[in-house]
Amino acid sequence: MGDQALELRAAWAIARKELLTALRYPLQLVTEVAQPLYQFLIPALLLGASLAVGGRAIGLESMTGTDNLAGYLFLGVVVGGMVGTAFWDMAFSFKREMDVGTLEQTWLSPTRPETFVLGRAISGGLVSMGASAVLIGLGLAFFDATVGDGLWLALPALLLAMASMVGIGYLVASAVLILREPNFFVDATNFLFAMISGVAFPVAVLPWFIKPVAYLLPTTYAVDLLRVYALGTDPLLDPALEWLALGILSSLLIAVGRVVFRRTEHRMRMRGTLGQH
Amino acid sequence: MSTLLGDLRAFAAAGAKEFRILRRYPTLFLGFLFWPIVLPFAYVLQARGFAGDSAEASAAFASRAGTSDVVGFLFLGFAAYMWISMILWGPGTALRTEQVRGSLEALFLTPASRLVILFGPAFSQIVWALYMFGLVGAAMVFVFGIHIGLMEALRALAIIAVSVPALYGMGALFASVVLRFGEVSALVQTVRGVFTAFCGMTFPIIVLPEWGRAVALSLPPTYLIGGLRSALLAEADLVSLVPDMAILLATGLFLCGAAVVAFRTTERYARRGGRLAQY
Repeated sequence: MGDQALELRAAWAIARKELLTALRYPLQLVTEVAQPLYQFLIPALLLGASLAVGGRAIGLESMTGTDNLAGYLFLGVVVGGMVGTAFWDMAFSFKREMDVGTLEQTWLSPTRPETFVLGRAISGGLVSMGASAVLIGLGLAFFDATVGDGLWLALPALLLAMASMVGIGYLVASAVLILREPNFFVDATNFLFAMISGVAFPVAVLPWFIKPVAYLLPTTYAVDLLRVYALGTDPLLDPALEWLALGILSSLLIAVGRVVFRRTEHRMRMRGTLGQH
Repeated sequence: MSTLLGDLRAFAAAGAKEFRILRRYPTLFLGFLFWPIVLPFAYVLQARGFAGDSAEASAAFASRAGTSDVVGFLFLGFAAYMWISMILWGPGTALRTEQVRGSLEALFLTPASRLVILFGPAFSQIVWALYMFGLVGAAMVFVFGIHIGLMEALRALAIIAVSVPALYGMGALFASVVLRFGEVSALVQTVRGVFTAFCGMTFPIIVLPEWGRAVALSLPPTYLIGGLRSALLAEADLVSLVPDMAILLATGLFLCGAAVVAFRTTERYARRGGRLAQY
């Protein structure tokens, strides 16, 4: 069996271990659905209700081309969940390993350290997909959300976005290894990344000095394409350009993320600071 | 008298200890600076996205909320939200941390009153709450150009002061849950969820269905948020705020009493079963 195949087997084994651990804490899995619902969706929907005219989100329609507020927000949460996977499941898990003192042991195994990020990307991605499916179901059943059949056309965009999140996971994991007390960093950057991508509101309302950052994030295009196909919203750019940008940014992030992660890991091994926290 | 003085000293010492621990973790200060501004600002952007260019949508908001000042409305809602989060996590988490550190039994062996153990850690949080409200107020005035006069600020402070017993009573009830079950996270998340969904942090409660409004009016944070908005955005005088303040005060007295009874009962349970330090 080739090296790559062995690493993929290891990644799947890591993912299975993470999923098994997640299943041991069913309440935590409930939180994956409940937290976005009460912390983000319900307050946002009620804010939207207070700006509605005759029960319609006419303001949102003037900005995006759809008055389907619930659909707009629930689809945003799908991409928001992916971002959360990169920051918390892929990157912050190294901090948890540091805390319980198992980071050095796992890195002494013949598996490459970056495979641990990949394994957690698989498990985190599966949990995030499951939570998103439940949330969309709840949106359709209880919150008057509707999504068109075009949703399926956006699935490749979601896969590309997930791939780009592996790159982001590498970058954030590097920061986690260096910072040692990264809770605030991860929490704040996760929030900013999701917000600037437009998961909660149209990118058009971002201040002028933040807007260029939005165009550099692959998730901006993923969430936009998702809404274009599923809700018929006006696209940010020509969809063909958005697909191209998403593909290029995803490839770039994976490549850069891997290099940065390898260098960080090498530097920490040289300095002997891997297990310090 | 000497016991009372001793307890007051212990109370101050408990507050000072919490403050000293906070000082050891400077990234926590970054959080105190970041979230009170960035979190409500994200909702301000959301409101702009939902209002679009529509004057009708903005007018609809003003007629429901009683103010056209969306920025002030959201910043005040979130200042209250963050204070409540701090309190819900505060006393319960403080006891839980003592359990995990193995210092809870030593704490209970001191001659200090249980009230000190229950409310002491929360004392330092009042300083943080005032800091946070100050920061939000400064952002509203200097960044968003909202006028807040001295009298309005004093009225808002009065609302915050009468909310203290109700909110810290709730926090202390959570501390009892820690002693009974050894875990508080799920309950805190649930209660915070209920407050977020009903108390009007991002919306006027008039948009809730009738049963939702009834739930909202039974929860103390609704009166805190409503009072702050009335005092600072609608320039309501103190007399018109008295009914809300009376409800907050009465709820506070009830919750603090309930917390003391619950804490004594659970402490007796924990001591009899030898569960005090188990987690």
